[in-house]
Amino acid sequence: MVGCKDENTVEEKPEDTATSGTLTLGMGAKWGNEDFVVEQVYFDTYGNRIRVDKFMSYISEIHLVRADGSEVLLKDFYLADFENDVNLNYTVPSGNYVGLKLGLGVPAAYNKHEDPAQYPSSHPLSVAGSQGMFWYWNTGYIFTKFEGKIDTTGTPGAELLDSFLFHIGDDPYYRELSFTGLNLNVAPNSPASLQLNIFVDQILAPASGTSIDLATNAVTHTSELDVLATSFFDNYAAAIAVE
Amino acid sequence: MRQLLLWSNLLLFLGIASCGPAVSDSPKDLPVRLRVPQGFPSLDFPPDNQPTQARIELGRRLFYHTDLSMDGKTNCGTCHVQSSAFTDGRTIAQGAHGQSGRRNTPTLANLGWSPYLMAEGGVPSLELQALAPLHEPSEMGINMMDAVARINAHEDLRALNRLAYGRDSLDPFTITRALAAFQRTMISGDSKYDQFKAGVSNLTDLERKGMELFFSKRLQCSECHSEPFFTDYGFYNVGLYTTYPDPGLERKTHLKADSGNFKTPTLRNIAVTAPYMHDGSLNTLEDVIAFYDSGGKGHHQQDKRIRELHLSQEEKEALVAFLHTLTDWNFLQNKTLSPWDE
Ligand code: HEC
Ligand code: HEC
Repeated sequence: MVGCKDENTVEEKPEDTATSGTLTLGMGAKWGNEDFVVEQVYFDTYGNRIRVDKFMSYISEIHLVRADGSEVLLKDFYLADFENDVNLNYTVPSGNYVGLKLGLGVPAAYNKHEDPAQYPSSHPLSVAGSQGMFWYWNTGYIFTKFEGKIDTTGTPGAELLDSFLFHIGDDPYYRELSFTGLNLNVAPNSPASLQLNIFVDQILAPASGTSIDLATNAVTHTSELDVLATSFFDNYAAAIAVE
Repeated sequence: MRQLLLWSNLLLFLGIASCGPAVSDSPKDLPVRLRVPQGFPSLDFPPDNQPTQARIELGRRLFYHTDLSMDGKTNCGTCHVQSSAFTDGRTIAQGAHGQSGRRNTPTLANLGWSPYLMAEGGVPSLELQALAPLHEPSEMGINMMDAVARINAHEDLRALNRLAYGRDSLDPFTITRALAAFQRTMISGDSKYDQFKAGVSNLTDLERKGMELFFSKRLQCSECHSEPFFTDYGFYNVGLYTTYPDPGLERKTHLKADSGNFKTPTLRNIAVTAPYMHDGSLNTLEDVIAFYDSGGKGHHQQDKRIRELHLSQEEKEALVAFLHTLTDWNFLQNKTLSPWDE
């Protein structure tokens, strides 16, 4: 059980403080320049009024990368709920880091043939910890859930009558992302920070790629050669920025 | 009332938590050797879930325990009724797991040998399968944890759990292991047909004729419903519909070519598991035989073996009579598979 600690703060791996420093990895969702708010109504580029009620996603194998290519693991599995911005605090070896790597989804080795019941409840892949992000009829984790309501008439004040639901998973959708060109110095007594932003508006309307009109493309439970699931995941991967 | 119940459980729970080291006389759990019927391959167990008395007994109690359900009223045995070979006689299971509210409840006989579970074969083990019914599609894990808390209020179950898995409280791991251990004891291989093969029972002329038809090149039933389990665990489109409302295997593989493909069901105890097919759309064995005789609806991916059979009335009756010989009455009444006596 997690006691009364601030739920948005995760402390990890205390290490020798003489040779290590703290890193805060912030994670948050944005809509344009604003903080993205779950259950708030937005206009998309198609003129639909949309309200996202749930946006959750597995983020795996988060590593810092040094100039020589060596890596430091920050977190193996993390289930992000973009309803809240979070700050994850880590103690990492001192030094300079030039990159951040992460995976969207759950890597194949942990995905379909692993038993959620084997993990303690605090683990993000466990029965309790997965918070519904698992398909029990066809074992495997749901990498991302993106659900909500839409008013296709775009009339301010009108009820949002239609639903959209993206449940995306399965091994081919796992995406490894690598952010380079960082210059992050970690040293004792000088806390460092990184911010990972997910631009929700860009998932639906990417700078390059396939836009998604929720009025006509509202539901996917993931299928093979699933154009919608692929577009969504490609856009999602492209909509993440590290500062 | 609900409030009261909750409180008494809570008190019980607290009572246990405060009573210090649990197992005083430390009884030992005993390994169990399951009897495998003649002609069945040997039964394998996962290394972390070898069969023992306590594991099987814990699984049996959980299988029939209403505290494992969300509404506190149902349990596995509500849909998987022993006297009907662990089916429920309904067309479509009510509020079921898996394809919730869309599929007929399947029998649970001989699942220890099944290479995968569910109609699309998407679940690789009984241990993993046990998670499915314990979840509502919407808020799964959270609900399972509620059930876990309720179950842990029962000291008898906790004691069995300690004995079985050496853990002080039940958790998703031990619950799913125990349910699987119990379900592996649901072995059915003592039907009239088995006794006939063992030379200790006879078949009537009609039954024998049906048997010959069933195994014949002309009908090819046994190519898919192959011995000893009367299933090859393959996936086929038998042409039940020209457009399947339930995509079957396609749901898992996402391949159009798998549309309408369903896992071949076992035919053991088939006479007591009506209605039939994945959606319970055929009411009687006579209907099933009439369906096969008609050659299916002609789905474009229908298996080639499903074609008009031109069966005579007597041949149809013979097939039905043969299917009746696959009932294992001992399995339907075996006390070790029934709810325990409190
Ligand atoms: C509401 C009715 C219902 C309840 C309650 C229920 N089941 Fe089922 N069960 C079904 C249905 C329907 C299926 C078929 C699901 C599918 O194929 O999609 C099924 C499938 C199964 C299978 C797979 C069988 C096979 O041949 O692949 C197993 C094993 C099973 N159930 C065990 C259990 C256990 C254990 C419980 C209690 C924890 C349980 N069931 C509770 C209706 C139910
Ligand atoms: C190509 C493989 C194949 C052949 C040949 C075949 N079956 Fe089947 N059988 C299946 C499949 C698959 C199902 C389940 C279909 C569904 O639910 O959509 C089934 C279902 C059944 C059922 C209902 C089982 C249940 O639990 O609901 C019976 C009874 C049955 N078959 C008997 C026969 C007989 C008798 C023959 C020969 C005339 C035969 N089958 C030939 C594959 C086959």
